This record gives sequence, C-alpha cells and structure tokens, in this order.
Amino acid sequence: MSDLLETLFLSKIYQSPLVLASGVLGLTADSMRRVLEAGAGAVTTKSFGLEPRKGHACPVILPYHSGLLNAVGLSNPGVDEMVKEIKKLHQESKGGIFASVFGKTPEDFGEVTKKACEATPDLIEVNVSCPNVASEFGAPFGADEFSVANITRIVKKAAGDVPISIKLTIHCPSIEKMARVCEENGADALTAINTVGPGMLIDTGVMKPILANKVGGVSGPAIFPLALKAVWEICANSSLPIIATGGVRTADEALQMIMAGATMVSIGSGIYYKDIEIFTHINQDLTAWMEARHIHSLETIRGAALE
Amino acid sequence: MKTFPVIDIKHHSAEIKSIYFKQIEPDIYPGQFFNVWLPGVDEKPFSISDVFQGIMEITVKAVGPFTRALVAVERGDFIGLRGPFGTHFTFHHHALLVGGGMGIVPLRYLARMLRQQGFHFEILLGARCEKEIPFQNDFSEWAPTTFVTEDGSLGYQGQVTEYIHEKIRESKLSFIYSAGPEAMLIRVMEEAKKAGLNYEISFERYMKCGIGICGQCVVNGSGIRLCKEGPVLSRNMAETVTEWGIPHRDATGKRKV
Repeated sequence: MSDLLETLFLSKIYQSPLVLASGVLGLTADSMRRVLEAGAGAVTTKSFGLEPRKGHACPVILPYHSGLLNAVGLSNPGVDEMVKEIKKLHQESKGGIFASVFGKTPEDFGEVTKKACEATPDLIEVNVSCPNVASEFGAPFGADEFSVANITRIVKKAAGDVPISIKLTIHCPSIEKMARVCEENGADALTAINTVGPGMLIDTGVMKPILANKVGGVSGPAIFPLALKAVWEICANSSLPIIATGGVRTADEALQMIMAGATMVSIGSGIYYKDIEIFTHINQDLTAWMEARHIHSLETIRGAALE
Repeated sequence: MKTFPVIDIKHHSAEIKSIYFKQIEPDIYPGQFFNVWLPGVDEKPFSISDVFQGIMEITVKAVGPFTRALVAVERGDFIGLRGPFGTHFTFHHHALLVGGGMGIVPLRYLARMLRQQGFHFEILLGARCEKEIPFQNDFSEWAPTTFVTEDGSLGYQGQVTEYIHEKIRESKLSFIYSAGPEAMLIRVMEEAKKAGLNYEISFERYMKCGIGICGQCVVNGSGIRLCKEGPVLSRNMAETVTEWGIPHRDATGKRKV
C-alpha cells in the first residue's frame, strides 16, 4: 500500500483512512484480520455489551434496490469474549482496532467500556444510536442531548487513556448541537452516522413485514447524501475528528466525505455490494486520484467543501 | 426476499419431507443454499436437493422448532426464499460421494448433475436407519451406491467412514465430495489426505444474513465466511480453517460449551 493514504487520527497513524464499520464482519479476530489485510486502516468490532445477546430472529438483514434494511438486534457474545478477540487481533495485526460498545443504561456503558479497555483498543466507539432495539431499550439515547452528555462523561471516565468516539444518529433535533454536546462532555471524536429510520418492507405474498423485528435501520447508497450532509454540518461546527459512515461504496464517495471534513471513512454495507476487496479497490482509486493531482496528503483536501 | 407458493410436498418418512417450488432463479448449482423464511417463525439456510424441469426442491428433517414448522407447511402456503447463495460443487471425474444423515440432501442434486454430464462416480451413504436415507432409488439408479446404517436396516451395518478407503481403492476413484455431520467430515478429510485425493466438502455453521456481511458464520483460521466462501470448500480452503470439530458459535456469536 502506498503511504500517500497514511492518516493521523487521534495521535496514531493509520495506513488508510478506511475503517470497517461496526456490525459488519466484526465478530472474530480472524474475520477482522482479513479486512485489515484487504486494506482497511482500522476495523470496528460488532457492538458488544456486558452479556451475550442472541439478537432478533431472522430475517435480520434485507437488501432492497437502494440499500439494506437491518435489525440484527445487537447480537453479540458479550464483552468477555470480545476482549479475547481484540487481544488476539492486536497480537496478529498492526492495524487499528475500534471497540464498539453499547449498554442498556448509562452505567452499563461505563462498565462495558472499562472491561473493553483491558484489551487496549485504539478507540471506544459508543453506540448510543442503534435504532433496532426500541421495543426493549426504548428510544435510542442518541436522540436526547441530556442522555448523550451523561453517557459521554461516564464512558470518558471509564475509558482512561483510550480515546472515545460517540456514534451519532441523524434522528435528533440538531446533529451539530449534539456534536457540541459530545465535545463539551469529553468526546475525543465522533462517528456519523448510524443507520437511518428505522424503515420497513412488507411481503405482498403473506402481507406481513419481512424483518422479524418488523422494522430495521436503513443503510447503503440510499443514505449516502444524508450521511454526507450530517458530516459536513458537524465539521462546520466542531473541531473533533470525524469517522464518516453511511453508504460509501467508491473512492469518489470517500473523497466527498473527506472534503466534508471527515478524517476516517467507514464502510459497512459496501461489503454487500463489492465484497471485502472494496477496501483494496478504494485505496487504489484514492491513491490514483491523489497522484493524478499531485496531492501528497489527504490533509490538504480535508474539509475543502466547508468554505 | 420474496415469498413463493409451495407447489408440492413429498413425504420420505414421518420426519423428512421434500418441498417443491417453481425454479426462482435460472442458475442454481449443487451445494448452494437458499435462506428459507417462515413468516412469524424464523429464517434458516437449506441446501438445494434438486432442480429439475423448472422445479426446485428442498428437503428437510424435523429436528427443532423451525424445521418442525417447515415440514408442516402445505401446498399453496407462501414461503420466503432468498438465494441461491454460497459456493457450489464443481464437476470432477471418478468421484466418490460420501453423505451422512441430512448431508445426503445436497449430494442428490450433485448426483443428478454428474450423471447428466456423463461423469463416472460412485456413492456411499450412511444414516442411523433406512428411513433416514431419502432418494434411495435415484441414487441407486444413477450410480453404484453403497448404503450403511447404524442399525443395519439398509445395506451394511456400521459407519459410512469405514468404507471410504475400500471404495476408493476398489473403484480407482480420485476425488471426494462430502456432506454430513462434522465428525464424519473430519474422517473424510483424513481419508482423503491419506489417499492423496482432493475433495469438495459442504460444511455448516450458524448463519444469519446469507450474503457475507453479518459475520455470524466466520470460521477461525483464515476467517472465511461459510455463507460466502462456503458452504462448499475445496481441500485448499478447508485446510485454512482451524476450528473443525470444536463447538460451533450460536446466535450470540459465542461458542456453545
């Protein structure tokens, strides 16, 4: 890989700005190592909590013509298992590892963060915005400034030296205000955005919603413009580095995110469209784009579209 | 995802049934699977047991809540299907098909295709008892077939793996296809290694999305996804995996103890 793509994020240099988004292929060390080998600068684990969770019955994922609907329901093997996987991955790879955590209560967030930090991930990503567990957890914390402020403080304290990023949803009164709330309460970075909606699809044969959870977060190309605009707004109003995520499938879309101010760019649903090699291909295309324009660092174009 | 009406049902035994649909995709290969959705119940992967004259078939044994509900469907019921997904068997001359239990099912469509292509092959099938071996007539008609049952109710009494070595040697076979319980598949891999043969084997893991993104069916070692790089693995691929024979991950992603 060319070092043109080296990206400084929270005092660590990553080989590429591309990150595996949470929820996709992030269950085991071997699976994540494969994604790093394909060219991701960092990988984000599947969101995990204190205890193992089965998640929802299937179908949990449903492609449609413009994206994906998913309601996996935060299935995960629990923090103890994930700590083992993160430690194993650390031993086998130099790539970045971001640990995505969730909790049912603000205190849970703190406890799971504390345990997760035993594995010294490069970042704790705080999933306050999963839209698929409302029936059990209530409305996502991410919609409410007071809750986000509280969780940010709790997680920051629990994380010690490990930096934290709050994963935001567009479903809040003002995402730029939410970004400031996170910044004021100790967040080191922000991840934007989580899946949108939730949405629904109905099968006309049996006349019922298809997802077992009936509704699921929308991701993929359908939400790219929404994610881009959210990143642009946040970057115009906050100095925190951003992990941009939402529908990116090409180098052009990754560049748009960077021009909107993003430091890192996450890919999740893109793997459905272009498989794991999407990281290799976007890295190659980004490098070619930079070489053609004699650009030696992505830093020089970051936020170019903000003026 | 779309639902399709069941056009026919065939009973093999009290517990094993075949369910028929119009063929929903033009290219469906042996070893591939469909995610089958029972509205209000769940969605699970099932390998295709036949595609013939525009009709496709899955064959199911009632073992848990989902498969019990699935064998209870009736003609005209709408069932969701997504697929075909995953890798498939490729065609090789002078092969031995080794099937155990419901692993017999994907080999049925493979046997039909091998016969259609005019390949020479032989078949070795095992199960607990005669009733648990569907498609006996088809297999016997298409190729020299040896049955092995634990209770001796059909063919030899014993385990299917006891006969692999003999079959390969007597019939000068040079390739193995297999599907069945993992303990059996491990024996098959050992026999193939001893005999210096290549193989293609269909493996099973807990699957959710079926399209290579959720990561539920990843296996240790190379970290491949069995819904995408599998379920049918070549010898080269199978040997990159380090978790054969240890407990599988469940719906949480944690290994069952």
